[in-house]
Amino acid sequence: MSALIEARELRRVFHQGRSDQVEAVKGVSLSIAAGQVTVLRGPSGSGKTSLLALLGAMARPTSGRIFLGERELTSLPERFLTEERRRTFGFVFQQFNLVPGLSARENVMLPALPLGHPRAGLARRAGALLERFGVAHRAAARADRLSGGEAQRVAIARALINEPAVIIADEPTANLDSVLSGVFMELVGTLRASGKTIIVASHDPLVYESPLVDRVISMRDGRLEEPAP
Amino acid sequence: MILSPAVIALVGGAVVGAALVGGAALQGAIILRGWDPKSGSERQVELERRTALVSTLVELALGFQLLALFLFVYTADALAPQFTGAMCAAGSLKADPHGYPALLLMLAAAIAAGLWLLVDGADGLGHDYPLLRAKYLMLLGLAPLVVAAAWWEVAWFRGLHPEVITSCCGSLFSRTGRGVGAELAALPPRLAGALLFGAVGGAVLAALGFRRSGKGALLLAALSAAALVASLAGMVAFVSPYVYELPTHHCPFCLLQREYHFIGYPLYATLLGGSVAGMGVGLLSLLGGAESLVTALPSRQRRLAGLAALLLGSFAALVAWAVLTSGLRG
Repeated sequence: MSALIEARELRRVFHQGRSDQVEAVKGVSLSIAAGQVTVLRGPSGSGKTSLLALLGAMARPTSGRIFLGERELTSLPERFLTEERRRTFGFVFQQFNLVPGLSARENVMLPALPLGHPRAGLARRAGALLERFGVAHRAAARADRLSGGEAQRVAIARALINEPAVIIADEPTANLDSVLSGVFMELVGTLRASGKTIIVASHDPLVYESPLVDRVISMRDGRLEEPAP
Repeated sequence: MILSPAVIALVGGAVVGAALVGGAALQGAIILRGWDPKSGSERQVELERRTALVSTLVELALGFQLLALFLFVYTADALAPQFTGAMCAAGSLKADPHGYPALLLMLAAAIAAGLWLLVDGADGLGHDYPLLRAKYLMLLGLAPLVVAAAWWEVAWFRGLHPEVITSCCGSLFSRTGRGVGAELAALPPRLAGALLFGAVGGAVLAALGFRRSGKGALLLAALSAAALVASLAGMVAFVSPYVYELPTHHCPFCLLQREYHFIGYPLYATLLGGSVAGMGVGLLSLLGGAESLVTALPSRQRRLAGLAALLLGSFAALVAWAVLTSGLRG
């Protein structure tokens, strides 16, 4: 399998030079293969979320480089990085981060709006995604009226609206019971079957012990426990 | 020193702008020395972040520099009633020896700032900072000019005292006087007019040609520079008498006054903007060989050439309108 994402010697330091300086990621090098499900596993504070933010180009490292295929991401000026992030990555957050006043459909359309596509086409695409994940009947419901499981599926639909190659999910089952966590893993299986690359940060055994997962990378104190490939 | 809101704004802007550009030039030197795009070191990542900040600050400072040139001339004009003998900005600028050098330095800084902003904008078209070195080397040259312009500007404001007796534009831009203004006024009007329309027309044709074919960038730059020089001289020797309808009045500043419908502002703005856009096309063709600019830069240059043609064409049309509607023509 070819490496889709390659991280070299990534470091992420918060509050650098201050007394409360924290080094969340300490010289991590790793490769993520295309079309696989990779889980970053580790206790709270191990640096999973920080590493995920770096891999998804949501944050810039303090040092180190990230390559997306042949293209180096970390040095890109903000405009190019934003374009790359929009085009390549879809995000599912722990709290789902749906906008409460908007409907489920509008939430799904949201990441595609800056790309300037016609709204009617976007609404159709959003509807199709909601249908795919079994929440089409809730398309007009406000996000704050959705149940946990519905909100999660809407969040996944939103992550897919720009047809990204990579889905990044940060503790996606942390707020769900075991039944809904299982549903989430079924969705992961569907996405994997459609060729998406999925990176999940989780300390939920239902996630990292799932047979759908191709690779589990353990983190502790900002470092990988597994040697870099 | 005469204090007015405009003077305070200009002095404050000059000091802040010079400090920003001076500081940015120092940062630029640091970036130039440490820049190593192949490295993922903490130092390099920090420099990549810093260059975005430096660019933003310089864009703001130089954007103000462009506006400040017009505010400076407007303020010089507005201060004229304070000085015995002054009728317009020409007299105010003469009221202290720093006035004309300050104006020339500000004009040079505005042109250089315009070119730097074009290079900075083109740098942003590439994903790998393709014009970073050129941009900061230019900034190292530009910063002393901005600082000098600010210094002379503040020195001029500080040297202004209401009891000073100065000269009016009638004597400064008189055919029989002495100095650069008088020499410009003494140019044969027909020749000055022919040079103005010839140079501007040439630049417009070169700009339209570049926009169509993508060729002749350096010719366009040279003709745009020539158009700027010929037109500034032509404003004194040729355009002014037609606007004032008085063959002996050659002042390039009275054009900015209400009696003449502030026609000087659109004339100078279109001339300066069009010339800088035209020169920018040539400058970018000299600098922009990077691979990441191969597709984006030519379309940016064509847009700039279109802008140059539009602005210089508007300038020529305004001049033609001023001449054709003048009572002096009959």
